[in-house]
Amino acid sequence: MTALIANEIRKLRTIRGPWLLLAAGPVLVIVGVAGEVVGGADLTQPQPAIHAVAHAGVVSLLTLVFGISAVAGEYRHKTITDTYLATPRRGRVIVAKFAVYTAVGAAFGLLLAVTAVIATAVAITANGGSLDLSNRDLWRTLAGGVACNAVFAAIGVSLGALIPNLAAAIAAALAWIALVEGLIGEFLGDLEAWLPFAGGQALGRLPGAPDISQLSGGLLLAGYAVVFAAIALTTSVRRDIT
Amino acid sequence: MRTTQRTPVSVHGLTKRFGRIRAVEELTFEVRPGQITGFLGPNGAGKTTTLRMLLGLVRPTAGAALIGGQPYPSLPHPRRAVGAVLEATGAHPGRRARDHLRILAQVTGVPDRRVAEVCDQVGLAEAADRRVGGYSLGMRQRLGLAGALLGDPPVLLLDEPANGLDPAGMAWLRGLLRDLADEGRTILLSSHVLSEVAQTVDQVVIINEGRLRFAGPLEDLGDLEASFLRLTDASQSSLKEVS
Repeated sequence: MTALIANEIRKLRTIRGPWLLLAAGPVLVIVGVAGEVVGGADLTQPQPAIHAVAHAGVVSLLTLVFGISAVAGEYRHKTITDTYLATPRRGRVIVAKFAVYTAVGAAFGLLLAVTAVIATAVAITANGGSLDLSNRDLWRTLAGGVACNAVFAAIGVSLGALIPNLAAAIAAALAWIALVEGLIGEFLGDLEAWLPFAGGQALGRLPGAPDISQLSGGLLLAGYAVVFAAIALTTSVRRDIT
Repeated sequence: MRTTQRTPVSVHGLTKRFGRIRAVEELTFEVRPGQITGFLGPNGAGKTTTLRMLLGLVRPTAGAALIGGQPYPSLPHPRRAVGAVLEATGAHPGRRARDHLRILAQVTGVPDRRVAEVCDQVGLAEAADRRVGGYSLGMRQRLGLAGALLGDPPVLLLDEPANGLDPAGMAWLRGLLRDLADEGRTILLSSHVLSEVAQTVDQVVIINEGRLRFAGPLEDLGDLEASFLRLTDASQSSLKEVS
């Protein structure tokens, strides 16, 4: 397993695409925080400051796409054949990808959290105030943002394994978040809060989060991630590579 | 001359159905070490599906596909036992060829210095630090071969390896395959180019509509093209019997 993890790291280090994708993250966080200021939010107040740093979690859409590219990207470039020829027990490859992509997602989330705090602090200082770092909710929001990035990367790996067509997998994921979950939610009433992206919103304390606790949201999202992973592992092990 | 462990390749009653389509039907043949065997058949005859079943990429509906008596997925070091170049084998266009091969070397279980050796062997030493996106079809074929040779395997399964090679490249490939066979390796290659096959192979396996039509020495067929067309003529497929 160590060799397979090292191999996945080597694969990631030798292409540029995923890193260009992730490089957009800090930029989007800074733009998001600036947007709060331009929109007239008073970041010296606790609640607007939390909204500002929550952008670290919003950007986890990028780690979702990053995760999707783990398996679906290998199908797209037909490297999956060599990968499975080397490791006919395919589940081991997928597990190694889960480990590497989740870890990169977490590290990326940490980078975004630091960026969000700095951007928010700079915005407040520019107006003569200072960011209240003793606010526990601020840190819980940041921690939720980091977790969001890690878990969405893992969910992405599963989606890419289930839908090996890269473009279709990305389109399906984004459509779910932007449209489908909301439509399904209308039929579910209060149960809407238990859909996957709602869990992510609660975990990252994103705008529009349902009325469930951050911990419930985190457990919910993690539960979905585990279920998706189990389905992805069983299907990719059996699928014919043609 | 260096020698290698002699490893036969065989399929027994191999069958694959995709839904109602019978891609491969009760196929049985053996590929011997030390020789080059051509694997021939019209488009859609089941060649690629058979090669993929030999490599564990496609699950047989019935029958067995064996490398030295074992199914591919049971081999302890599969890439050191079998080198494969398939149409479906690819490299990321943004990755340098040397990095691509280093990734394969790691999971093949061979040291990184093998990368330079196989690049020399296939004539890619100069181009190894370029990104694969800029490679010609012929260079991609050489890269695929380099990947297959990394593990110094006793068995080579090659799907249309001459695709995209220029005449000099084809002559080079013929020489390379002959040397590899003389070392005792088992080589099975599929091809559409019968004139090229006639110059390269010792044994021939011909399939049509997923069924075996001929397996034997090339010289038993006389004129390869005439025999191929007769053996794979769809209008007569029910009448055909190969002795």
